[in-house]
Order: sequence, then structure tokens, then C-alpha cells
Amino acid sequence: MEKAAMMQTAQEMVASFVDLPTIPQVATRVIELLDKPGVELDEVADMILADQVLAARVIKMVNSPLYKPAHEIKSVKRALIYLGFRHIRELAFTCSFVDVFQGRDGIIDIKSFWEHSFGVGVVSKIIAQRVRYPDTEKAYLVGIVHDIGEVFLSFYRQDAFRALLDSVQGQPFRLVQKEAEFLGTSHNEVGLCIARKWNFPADYCEVIALHHAPEEAVLDPTLCAIVNIADLFCSVCQLDYGGHSWVSFNLAEEKAWSILKGYAPNLADLDVERFCYELEDRVPEIQDMVKSIFQGIGG
Amino acid sequence: MAFESKPMDMKGSAQKISDKDFEQLRDYIYNVCGIYFHSSKKYFLESRLSRRMEVTGSKTHAEYYQYVRGGATGSAELKKLLDEITTNETCFFRNLPQLNALENKFLPEIVAVKGKIGFKKLRIWSAGSSSGEEAYTMAMLLLEKRATLLKDWIIEIVGTDINETVIGQAKEGVYNSYSVRNTPDFYLKKYFKEEAPGKFVLSPEVKKLATFNQLNLYDDNKMLFMKSFDFIFCANVLIYFDAASKSKVVQHFYNNLQSYGYFFVGQSESLHGVNDKFKTVHFPGGFTYNK
Repeated sequence: MEKAAMMQTAQEMVASFVDLPTIPQVATRVIELLDKPGVELDEVADMILADQVLAARVIKMVNSPLYKPAHEIKSVKRALIYLGFRHIRELAFTCSFVDVFQGRDGIIDIKSFWEHSFGVGVVSKIIAQRVRYPDTEKAYLVGIVHDIGEVFLSFYRQDAFRALLDSVQGQPFRLVQKEAEFLGTSHNEVGLCIARKWNFPADYCEVIALHHAPEEAVLDPTLCAIVNIADLFCSVCQLDYGGHSWVSFNLAEEKAWSILKGYAPNLADLDVERFCYELEDRVPEIQDMVKSIFQGIGG
Repeated sequence: MAFESKPMDMKGSAQKISDKDFEQLRDYIYNVCGIYFHSSKKYFLESRLSRRMEVTGSKTHAEYYQYVRGGATGSAELKKLLDEITTNETCFFRNLPQLNALENKFLPEIVAVKGKIGFKKLRIWSAGSSSGEEAYTMAMLLLEKRATLLKDWIIEIVGTDINETVIGQAKEGVYNSYSVRNTPDFYLKKYFKEEAPGKFVLSPEVKKLATFNQLNLYDDNKMLFMKSFDFIFCANVLIYFDAASKSKVVQHFYNNLQSYGYFFVGQSESLHGVNDKFKTVHFPGGFTYNK
């Protein structure tokens, strides 16, 4: 299908979405702060403390197994000290971002969406570290937001999405191809339209649009490739939209893998099998974290 | 006072293994045997370790770790530990993600390739078949495709094991409830007859599809005759071999596999560093190797 036509369809579709949420100011401000050198810790702390729900969520998450504190952390201040500056920005961003999707359970429920998104965030960060990509935090954040289009597609186009899933029952498939067939566009284009509406930075937009085609990326092909590979690994390690996606892949045939090997030749020696097993080990952590986001917050 | 109900070892409760000791031992087992211990199996490992520690007189996990790394006695001990941790692992429908991928992707793919050239014969090998559960699981899955995907196809399933006793059991086809614990009701009702409580007899229809032979995977001459397989399974066998033997045996598997075939190892196994010709193909819940 023509790319321009898919983009056109996505634009019209997003314009037709009723009550499309706006992104919380905190999330936008955190993104802005990411690129600003010499930000004070207090600036982020103030932002968090100004929002009670956000503050409570930060404390919930910092106590989840992913961050492994030895003792329960009860205040935002302690959380800041424990996590350090870089991590607290990550946390502030994700915690504030969660609200945008509350109650948007479509064919894909929000919990599965977050499990996949956090999974891709965590794995993107791990891959970024392995290939010595300079901004591992950005890799984590773009990993988390890469599939925003999916939530809205599965929420606003439930009938078509259900038909899509019914058509592939028991068959291996890649969502992005099936979406083009059933919806005339895909979560990439829809995600891009929303990201632009929310004024996401250009490199975030690029990942959202091209995480399934990193070879077309111009601004940061490495970042797109990192998210692409993280996405594939999560899809085979139980972070697969509650089983709604069925992916099979051979790294040697993935363009993203070639891009990453070009960027970091040491990747050719990666023990891929062990990488998968280690990832499987982390799945319960990620699921617990997602659970902790939704439990007992905001009444 | 009520007793806490936590898993107890026969000789009392197992010593708790620290994260550091667990990771150290896991790395060692992985590097030597190619089997990965998931964190979720930590307590299982803990209880099995306590038995081995008692036998070897190791007071701490660190002491046992030193013991198991030491020369010939160490490698003999490692085999015993592996025995402890892989015992009774065999059952029907053991690896569901693998079976799922096979049924939905790999089998239709191979049927399409072979169908195109009119070669309607499927050959499957369960290497280290033990008492036949894996081979017969495949037989049942394929029988279900007999009317559709595999109409008019010849199916050959071969099970081999070094141990004559288990080969005898495989040929007999009688199982206890532990072996069928994972078997979906549909298959249990259709292909087994419970002759006495806990005695499950496999139907002749399934038995007919598989043959079993004694075979030593080290036997180069015999290995040469195991030709043209579409799928080879070898679960929890290679973990017992040293690096050189492992590499030799895997090369045989490579040669004996069709160019479009797939080679499957056990659920937590890895061939990393053993053979650089095989490519890894990932699917939900696992991976397989192809050429």
C-alpha cells in the first residue's frame, strides 16, 4: 500500500477520534528537560510533588521489583536519593504518561499494552547499553512510547481490529502488515499523528513512525533499530500484547540487526539464546511493575 | 503452633541459596552444559542442591561450587547434579510453546516446500527419546492433520536412545499418570486407554507412526545413516556432553537435517558457541535452529 495513502488515512482517522486525550503537562516538561543540560534535581522533584497522584505513583513504582530497594521507600525525596537524577526523570515521565491511557481498553487491554511497552523500554535500554549508544535513557523512553498508535487503533477501531485478529487465529502474523490490510493504515502512522499532536521531539516521532522500518530512518536509524529489535524480543518473551501478536524471526534476516551490527560490531558475538533466557527472567518484574502502577492509585 | 507449609527436602529444609551463589552456579552450569536456570527455578535448584551437598560433604553453596569445578571428580559431580535437576522431566506435551510454533508455522512451512516438489514424506527424529513421550506427542499432533494438511503424506517418526531399557518402554507404550500430566483432555481421551487407575495405554494408531532403536550419538558410523530429517528434537541430552563431543554430535544433526528443516533443543538449552552454522529462529516462548 502507498505510504502517502496510509498517512492520509491515519490523519483523517486521528482527526475523527472523539475525546482524544491530551498529554499531561508534566510528561511534556519531562521530555523537554531531557535535552536541557544542567537541570537541577529540585526542578524535577517540585514537578512531581505538585501532583499528588503522580507522587503516589512514583513511590509505588520505586518500590516495585524492577528498582529493587532494600527497604520500602516512603517519600518522593527518598525515592530521588535512591534512584538518582537520571532514573527519576524516567520514572516521572512514565508515571505521568500512564494517565493518558486510563480507561482506553480496546481490543488490546491497557495492562497488556503497558507490559509490552515497559518491556520494550527495558530491553531497548539493555540493547542501548550493549551497543554503547550514548543516551540509554532516551532509548528507554522511546521504547515506552513506540506503540502509542496501537492503543488508539484498538480502542477507536474495535470492530476492524477484532476482525483482524479473528482472521489470523492460529496463524503467525505481524500486526503492522495486517493493520494495513484491515484498516488502510497502521499503528505507525496513527502513532506519528498523535505524537506530532503532542509535540514530541522529532527523534521520538521517527521511532514511533519507523520502528518497523528502521532502514528508512534519517534522524537516528540506530535508535529505531534498537527499538525494533527490543520489540521483536519482547514479542517472543511473553510481553506480546497478551498473546495478540505472533512473531517469528531470525536475526540474520532483520535489517535492524544489520544496522546495529554496523554500529557496534561486537554485537555479532552476543549470546542470543542467553539474552532471551535472561529476558524471560525479567518478565515477572516488568509485570509486577505494571501491576504496581494500577494498584491503589487515585482511589 | 502450626507448621509452615514450605517445600521441604527429605533430609530437612534446604539451605537458602544467596543470589550471588545462585548466579555463580547458574553461570557455571550454563557455560559447561548450555542449560540456563531461570530465577523462577531457584527454589527447585536449592532443594536438589541440598541432596548433593550432603553427599559431597559441602557445608555451604560456595564450598559445593568449588567442589563441582574441581577436575575429574567435579565433572562427575556435575553430571550427578544434572541428573537431579532433569529427572522426571519427560512427559507428553512437555514444551507447549514449541509444539504451538511447530503446528502453526514450521510444519505448514515444510509441508508447503515439500508439497511443491511432490515429496510427500515427513521424517522426524527424537534423539534421546527416553520412553517415547516426545516422539508420540509428535505422532498425535500429526495424526490430527491427517485429514487436512497431511492428507496422503507418509509420516516417519524415529526415536533413539542409548538406553535399551527406555527403548523397550517406548515400544511398549504404557505410561503412568505423571507422564500424561500435561496432556490435553482431547488427546488423552482420544489416544489413551486408562486400563487401570494411573495406567495409560497408548492407542495402536499412534504407536504405528513411530519406531524406536538403540543408538549412541557418539557412534559416527551409525549417525551417518540417520539421513534427511525435517525435524530433529534433542532435549536435555547434549547437556551431558563435553564441548568437543557436543560440537561433533551437533554437526551430525546439522548434516542429517534437510536444508529447510528445524532442529529443536530443550526448553532452557542453548547451542551458543557449539556450532556456528545453525541459525537461531525465534518464536513466542522459545527458539529453534535452522540452516
